[in-house]
Amino acid sequence: MIEFKGVSKKYSGNMIALSNINFFIDKGEFVFLVGPSGAGKSTILKLILKEEGPSSGEILVNGYDVTHMKPGDIPYYRRKLGVVFQDYKLLPEKTVYDNVAFALIVTGAQGSAIRKQVPMVLSLVGLSDKAYRYPRELSGGEQQRAAIARALVNNPTILIADEPTGNLDPDTAWGIMELISEINRRGTTVLVATHAKEIVTNMKKRVISLHKGNIVRDQTRGVYSDVVK
Amino acid sequence: MSLSNIRYYFKEGFSNLWHNRVMTIASISSVIAALFMLGIFSAMILNVDNIVSQIESQIEIRAFLKDDLSEENIKLLDAGIKSVEGIKEVTYESKEQALENFKKQLGDRSDLLAGLEGDNPMPASFIIKTTSPQVIESVVNAIKGMEGIDQVRYGKDIVEKILNLTYVIRIISLVLIVILIIISVVIIYNTIRITVYARRREITIMRYVGATDWFIRWPFIIEGAVLGFAGTIAALAILRISYSYAVEYLTRSFFVFGLLPASVVIDNIFLMLLSIGLIIGIMGSTLSIHRFLKV
Ligand SMILES: Nc1ncnc2c1ncn2[C@@H]1O[C@H](COP(=O)(O)OP(=O)(O)OP(=O)(O)O)[C@@H](O)[C@H]1O
Ligand SMILES: [Mg+2]
Repeated sequence: MIEFKGVSKKYSGNMIALSNINFFIDKGEFVFLVGPSGAGKSTILKLILKEEGPSSGEILVNGYDVTHMKPGDIPYYRRKLGVVFQDYKLLPEKTVYDNVAFALIVTGAQGSAIRKQVPMVLSLVGLSDKAYRYPRELSGGEQQRAAIARALVNNPTILIADEPTGNLDPDTAWGIMELISEINRRGTTVLVATHAKEIVTNMKKRVISLHKGNIVRDQTRGVYSDVVK
Repeated sequence: MSLSNIRYYFKEGFSNLWHNRVMTIASISSVIAALFMLGIFSAMILNVDNIVSQIESQIEIRAFLKDDLSEENIKLLDAGIKSVEGIKEVTYESKEQALENFKKQLGDRSDLLAGLEGDNPMPASFIIKTTSPQVIESVVNAIKGMEGIDQVRYGKDIVEKILNLTYVIRIISLVLIVILIIISVVIIYNTIRITVYARRREITIMRYVGATDWFIRWPFIIEGAVLGFAGTIAALAILRISYSYAVEYLTRSFFVFGLLPASVVIDNIFLMLLSIGLIIGIMGSTLSIHRFLKV
């Protein structure tokens, strides 16, 4: 489903963000990506999203050879990846409904499909009653739910989240992580980069720990640990 | 490309124009200025061309005969000239007729010619009309060499002067128009750049959720095309009104006749102006997209 084979990433100025990364994530897994700031978590997610290309190595996702993908294939590849960010990235001048519908419109979806899909995901994330509110009228947790709804509306096979609870208080963060966990139970593969120690430790999922661009630990029922070796 | 996509592109394109009203107006104005100038110069060129072709169609060749040709020789010459390619009409004017015509031209002062009947100095000539102005040169050359022909004259100078004038007008207008078109493209380029910037968040999200590059581009291309189109239509309207006034004024105050009517001018330049307007708009937006969208 997601496979990294000897992936390294050098940014300009010889900044080595990742060196020789190898891992395999199977269909339906839930994986946390943890590590101190600058460890390379976001870089791994950017490589999967093809926002960046690796300096060397191979990346295979959903049967695509991401490294050698034709530029014209990228949009279709991304439609099968849902993505969620710390800052939600909602469009302020659109309602929750329109923000979610936007993700379908730009793929050229039919109006009938949009009218069916959007209420469905909004109810899944628990925002049915706030569909016509604007982002500024929502709490942080609700905004993140709207962003998750947008990530899910195209029925992605993989959900990628970069610090989805970074701006939220602990209780709200739990709610969001439970929602993501529920999405995973419905069959979506999930990869979450996070600093939320307590959540990671309590959820007993697979944890890949990064430090300075290297994988230092990969545990199936892992805990968050600051201790490096 | 589905119908709902096309509706989306136009909706977004027009919404860009509306959100960016000031630049929209500036862009349309610059297109109007460029195409109005282009229209004025085209109208001038069309009118000059029209005058030239009128004059050219009236040009006749006059072949003067040597004195003392026999009837027989004149008949032979007449047949020879008629056999040249491109001849429409050949009329013979005898020495007597030539003197008679000259007298008529002099009118009251024809007494100056009294007594010349005995020793008529006017040459006989053939007056030749050609089927088109383009063959004049070759006809003249063919006749020049014929036995019994003294001299051949035609209105070469007038045609050349007018052609030179149109050449100058063409060069000046071409330079001006190119400058104005470049200015329009630059202004539209900046206008689209501002909308791309205003929508950068949306564009980022569109990329994440898998919009194709063309899906992202279309609204901006439409925005540019609408700017070009609106500018062209406005320029044509202004041109039509002002040209009609100009023709009326020139005719009434300066007795300039034979100018082309506004409808003919507009018909002639409509498609050219519209294509140039659309090209300006699409070029401005394409350059901007290429530079700032990096899709
Ligand atoms: N575009 C870039 N150009 C140059 N260096 C970069 C770029 N993006 C990231 N880096 C560097 O690569 C390293 C890894 O960055 P990355 O964003 O992957 O870390 P992270 O694990 O997500 O950290 P955080 O927890 O703070 O988000 C950092 O040292 C960072 O400075
Ligand atoms: Mg990060």
